[in-house]
Amino acid sequence: MIRPRLVAAVASREVRTLLRNRALLAVAAAFAAVVLGLGGASMGSPGGYVSLTYDLLLPVELLVPVLAFAIAYQSIRGDDERGTLSILRTYSVSRLEYVLGVFVGRAVPAFVLVVAVLGAAGVVAGLGAPPTSSFLATHSAGDTPLIYGRFVLFAGWYVLATVAFVLAASALARTDREALAAGVGVVVIVAFLADLALVALLTTGFVGDLIGVLVGLAPASAFRGLVLELAIRPAIAADPGVATGHPLVSALGLAGWTVAALATAAVAVWRPVER
Amino acid sequence: MSEPVLEFAAASFGFGDVTILDDANVALEDGTFVALVGPNGAGKTTALELFAGLRSLDTGTVTRPATTGRTVAYLPQSPRFRPGFTVREVVTFYGSLVETEVDADAILSRVGLGGATDRRVDELSGGMTRLLGLAQALIGDPPVVVLDEPTSGLDPDIADHIFEAAASMAADGRLVLTTSHDLEAVSRYVDRVLLIANGEFVLDGPPAALVEQAGAERLRDVFSSTVAGSGRDAVDIDAQTEGDSA
Repeated sequence: MIRPRLVAAVASREVRTLLRNRALLAVAAAFAAVVLGLGGASMGSPGGYVSLTYDLLLPVELLVPVLAFAIAYQSIRGDDERGTLSILRTYSVSRLEYVLGVFVGRAVPAFVLVVAVLGAAGVVAGLGAPPTSSFLATHSAGDTPLIYGRFVLFAGWYVLATVAFVLAASALARTDREALAAGVGVVVIVAFLADLALVALLTTGFVGDLIGVLVGLAPASAFRGLVLELAIRPAIAADPGVATGHPLVSALGLAGWTVAALATAAVAVWRPVER
Repeated sequence: MSEPVLEFAAASFGFGDVTILDDANVALEDGTFVALVGPNGAGKTTALELFAGLRSLDTGTVTRPATTGRTVAYLPQSPRFRPGFTVREVVTFYGSLVETEVDADAILSRVGLGGATDRRVDELSGGMTRLLGLAQALIGDPPVVVLDEPTSGLDPDIADHIFEAAASMAADGRLVLTTSHDLEAVSRYVDRVLLIANGEFVLDGPPAALVEQAGAERLRDVFSSTVAGSGRDAVDIDAQTEGDSA
């Protein structure tokens, strides 16, 4: 049984840790500057929110894992290295409660940051747009802030999944150096290698029509598939006719990776001892 | 004599070929201050972790208090609390993990940190950090407190203060089990000494009694004669240092 009181206690400590870490605040500010800069570049663009989503998709896909790495790689490993994990274990907090507390305390602020910054970028991009935008001629009436909101929420979901990944790496690492290497490895795998594996599969010719399903199995491509299928496709007038992802598989993939990563962290954080 | 609150029965544990406990037996009662001493590498820290429930025995049984709530508090050697937090915030956080209400200021005053409650932990001296660790050990009123070398690297005054605080915890009815290499302080403060070597508790008794039985003058002499330099086996004592070669 998970006791919410203990999860909340651990989460509260994590949130305060984030808010008091100047280096992390600088990383958050840099993320905001890049995203808002791209939003500013799209200010008044006739491409509307679809254009903005396209502009932000790749940077978000790459920057979110980096942000997750900065926020979470030292979390569990840091408690272990300082000796405070041994202290925590003498309280009645379980492995799952501890990991969930760390996750909530690290991932929720990251979610809020990503959603707020992307939301602000949408506002910035919308400033100065002509009242009768020419994009209405090329896009269907689906190009609304609501559709852009889907992209923002998918990005928030993506950061939850990547933070879970980095937490698992932090729990599996036994030294600071391992934690650093594992954290960087997670970023590289999530942002690059999983996609490269998909491309490699495509070149074999065995994948065929399954590509829409397969992209849902890697975190970054699952996020991309959700954005392309549910945030961009409804907003454009001419359906490209080619599936870029299977939304259900992508959603299950992103959720599955999150749960699997948290379960891994909970198993790895410490060995249970019979009382 | 009261019932044991912490006990090893036929306890064995090892790391590969290295034996830490070999069919060891010991029972520790509440209200006593016990020091676990031994040569470097004898497995004192591992034995503490086994007592505290941070590791499982390979074979045998360990008995801990059957009370609800926090049963064993543990303070690792040289703990470092999360930077950026004040002393009071640290105690309040750990206090939020137990069922009972915790008066952070009262606990901190108990160990002598009443004047440092608003100080950030990264600004504390080594001794004050250990005292904060002791304060943390009182949270939830556990019947057993396990301390791993709480005075290593500290000046004699603060080391005495920590031993006095630990003795005071034992006087409240707890079992306090500590490791230490400070045998002079151990002689002065603890009720019982356990000496671990080669996987066994080879000496067990009040410090004064151990000294008397051995016909020695100090506990340090008893220690040296018992372990017979076993801690030196792994090092080349005769190796020339840089200064010697000049």
